[in-house]
Amino acid sequence: MKALLSNSHLVLLTRVFLGLLFVVSSLEKIVDPASFAHSISNYKLLPPWLPMTAATILPWLELFCGFALLSGIFIRGSALLVSAMLIAFTLAVISGLLRGLDISCGCFTQDPAAGKIGWMKVLQNSSLIVLSLFLYHSNANRFTLFSYVERTSREDGQPS
Amino acid sequence: MNRFREALREASTLLVVAAAMGFIYTAATEKGVFARTVPTVPATGPGANTPQMISGDEVWSLFQTGSALFIDSRHDFDFKAGHIKGAVNVPLKDFDFAKSPLKDVLRDQLLVVYCDGAECNSSIELAVELMKKGFKNVRISFGGWREWVEANHPTEKTP
Repeated sequence: MKALLSNSHLVLLTRVFLGLLFVVSSLEKIVDPASFAHSISNYKLLPPWLPMTAATILPWLELFCGFALLSGIFIRGSALLVSAMLIAFTLAVISGLLRGLDISCGCFTQDPAAGKIGWMKVLQNSSLIVLSLFLYHSNANRFTLFSYVERTSREDGQPS
Repeated sequence: MNRFREALREASTLLVVAAAMGFIYTAATEKGVFARTVPTVPATGPGANTPQMISGDEVWSLFQTGSALFIDSRHDFDFKAGHIKGAVNVPLKDFDFAKSPLKDVLRDQLLVVYCDGAECNSSIELAVELMKKGFKNVRISFGGWREWVEANHPTEKTP
């Protein structure tokens, strides 16, 4: 397990996958916060004023976490946030399913044709949670913006 | 523990920046919380009105008069398992008006669209689509299929 957590290529792959996923899925929500707020309120879990506030902040949080994972800055903080968001989303989907709600997920796209919430979604999200928790616990610092800057400055500093 | 504290500090930074950007962006573009008017139903073209929500009692009285055509916007498997007697299935998913049974229906025919219940949206979305296609009298059953079944109104299954 330790070897896995320090495998820089595996960590990089997970970062790029989760990072891209979060950046791409945030864009549509950023452009259209009202639709995202509508998707959130469909779950009927939050008081009426909260979905719009959440729809204002969450897409940007997804975007910044995505960028953070891609660049390697704040990996641990963004992995923690991504895990928290995914866990919250998954619990919302589970509670929707248990209450028999016939609603679209509003997860990665706001297009209602993209599909209703289902146990498949729970499974998908759970695997993403595993990936983000893996990043949180990982130790590999290669291929990050910091390591790149450090390396280039070290090379610059050396006499030729 | 140190690792968690560091992660928490990074996460708070990201959260503050994201919140700031979110509010600045929505304020600048007048979206979301800063929208001047909250559109509930998309505009449906010049002169078009918006579909109207009706209660279970109104749905039942329209059923009894026989004046309305009932449209079920749920998936075909839900429709086959049971639907309002005489209803036509037009699933919102894969909605293609040219192939739907409604293409030959007179545009002033009264339509009552329903989906699963109060929580579903497909009836609203389909009603808006149908109004775009020129239907003038479109109603949405607020309580939908579930309310109909609870009231023990006539249903049928498609074999």
